[in-house]
Amino acid sequence: MIQFKALLIKEFKEAFRDKRALMVAMTMAMLAPVMILVLSKTMIKEMVATPPIYLQVTGENFAPKLFKQLQQNNINSLTDAPEDMKDLWKERNVELIIPENFAKSMMEGRAITLTLRADFSEKALNAPIRRIKNQINSYAQSIGAKRLIVRGMDPRLLRPIKINDQDTAQPSSNAMFISLMLGLYVLMAAFMSGLSVAIDSSAGERERNVLEMLLCQPVSTFKIVVAKLCCASTISIIGVTLTLVLTSFSVGFVDLTKIGATFNLDVSMVLFLIILLLPISFFASALQLFVSFQAKSFKEAQSTVSMIIMLPAMIPVALMFIDDKPQWLDWLPVSGQSLLMDDLFKGIAINWAAFAATALVTIGLTTLLVIILSLRLKSEKVVLALS
Amino acid sequence: MIKVTNLHKSFLGAKKQPVIALNGLSFTAKDGEITGILGPNGAGKTTCLRTLYGLLKADSGSAIIDGISVSASPIEARAKLGIFPDKFGLYERLTAYEQIDYFASIHGLTGQAKHTAIEAIIKDLDMEVLAYRKTQGFSQGQRMKVTLAQALVHQPQNFVLDEPTRGLDVMSTRVLRDHLARFKDKGHCILFSSHVMQEVAALCDRVIIVANGKLAAEGTPTELCELAGEKLLEDAFVKLIGSDEGVAA
Repeated sequence: MIQFKALLIKEFKEAFRDKRALMVAMTMAMLAPVMILVLSKTMIKEMVATPPIYLQVTGENFAPKLFKQLQQNNINSLTDAPEDMKDLWKERNVELIIPENFAKSMMEGRAITLTLRADFSEKALNAPIRRIKNQINSYAQSIGAKRLIVRGMDPRLLRPIKINDQDTAQPSSNAMFISLMLGLYVLMAAFMSGLSVAIDSSAGERERNVLEMLLCQPVSTFKIVVAKLCCASTISIIGVTLTLVLTSFSVGFVDLTKIGATFNLDVSMVLFLIILLLPISFFASALQLFVSFQAKSFKEAQSTVSMIIMLPAMIPVALMFIDDKPQWLDWLPVSGQSLLMDDLFKGIAINWAAFAATALVTIGLTTLLVIILSLRLKSEKVVLALS
Repeated sequence: MIKVTNLHKSFLGAKKQPVIALNGLSFTAKDGEITGILGPNGAGKTTCLRTLYGLLKADSGSAIIDGISVSASPIEARAKLGIFPDKFGLYERLTAYEQIDYFASIHGLTGQAKHTAIEAIIKDLDMEVLAYRKTQGFSQGQRMKVTLAQALVHQPQNFVLDEPTRGLDVMSTRVLRDHLARFKDKGHCILFSSHVMQEVAALCDRVIIVANGKLAAEGTPTELCELAGEKLLEDAFVKLIGSDEGVAA
């Protein structure tokens, strides 16, 4: 116990005295809230505005009322477009063709075919086309409903079934985006913050020739590894906590209600996330120590460890593309935590069994890494690589 | 007391050819004596010492420190050792005091006993001025003092040094030599490897000459000179290891 305490104190002293490395680790945490703030502000701006649409209309005189409704919703004729927008919309080439017999057919109650021509595969046109269609449909529906009412019928007769959409991706896909970003970011913070300390205390010590001296001492390699792990993961946990606390402040500055979304990061949520990510911090540091202890130089350690950082970035993104998620993804480190964070942000009740399972698996893997590493430090290969 | 019996050790070198580092080395370093290991580069000195620390495992043979077998219980054996390693690095973000404190704690010293031990060794090595400075930027001599202090703070019965005078100036070498002599007088066992003949001649009670991984000759410096029929230890050394053919490789 005396030995472990001494090892731990020394690791912490070294870590906290390396001001520059510590600063780099913490900038990661500082940047998160700023990024989320800026991103969500721009997104809200885009969402709230209904930018004008200019389309080429053939026969706009045949259906003046329809056209008026379109205009009320900022959907205009190309001829009205200001100069700077004209070229853009000419190129986009959205065309609405209203037939000559519009008014006549309307009078006689026959079906009217409007033609909307555009490149439907063009992503930039998705929103404009949707808006145009919605407006035309609602115009058509209102006329249809009026016709039924005039004939003494309830328009609801036409809709025997009504679908009640309950989107679990609520409150809106945009708040989802913010939470996805945050989830990814805290995972990254867990992996990034402890990184420099992990490399410095393993490959760095080897390069500074102090590792051999330590391995010659009457202390078990297990204690050495655990002390280094505790130190690196503490820094990692500090990074995660800082990210979450600062983000919860900065989210307060964004008015998400404008886009009909609510996203708040209150104390209980922050606490839950810290507890959720605690095992991940240990796991990340153990993985980094494991790799960098085996590297021959500081430089090699750095380049290998940066591969590990891809893990938290790739896994959550990959998970988005898997529709039918197999059960074991809930248990694995990183993916399990990532899925739980998704649930939390969506407002779904937390699956405590999955929470426990992923925590246990993560802790188990961490322990395994520590044991293998402490055995490896006893092996001759590591010693021979010292000089 | 350090007793090494019939140590064998080989490594896989280039093209999977085994390289024999130790080939049946045996010697004893007694308490109250300074024993020097002399040998050309690549003779197996560092391998031998690393086997003593328990960093390497011998293929056969045994190393016993104060009756404790290194291979069977390395941690207990290491507790009896003070080590001045081949390459000594310092924790550059710690002060000299903190560094010595760290090693004292690893050897199980606590509280007042630890404090007294650290103060004593700092005074002994005349390094009060250095004690509270961070070790970054220390000169070679200052580094040697810190390393010596951290190796001796727990007053080990046995003290092993691997080429300790490398890169030291005359003054630092003298400090080291004085300290070793005093340590010997207190009845400790000192084993140290070196290339420097004068130093070995001046300091060692007994000299072990190692060549090709085994014992080439053993005795006091004078005995060795007589054995080889030479006046200088250096000439005796060259004669006793045969030629340097195939050894320096």
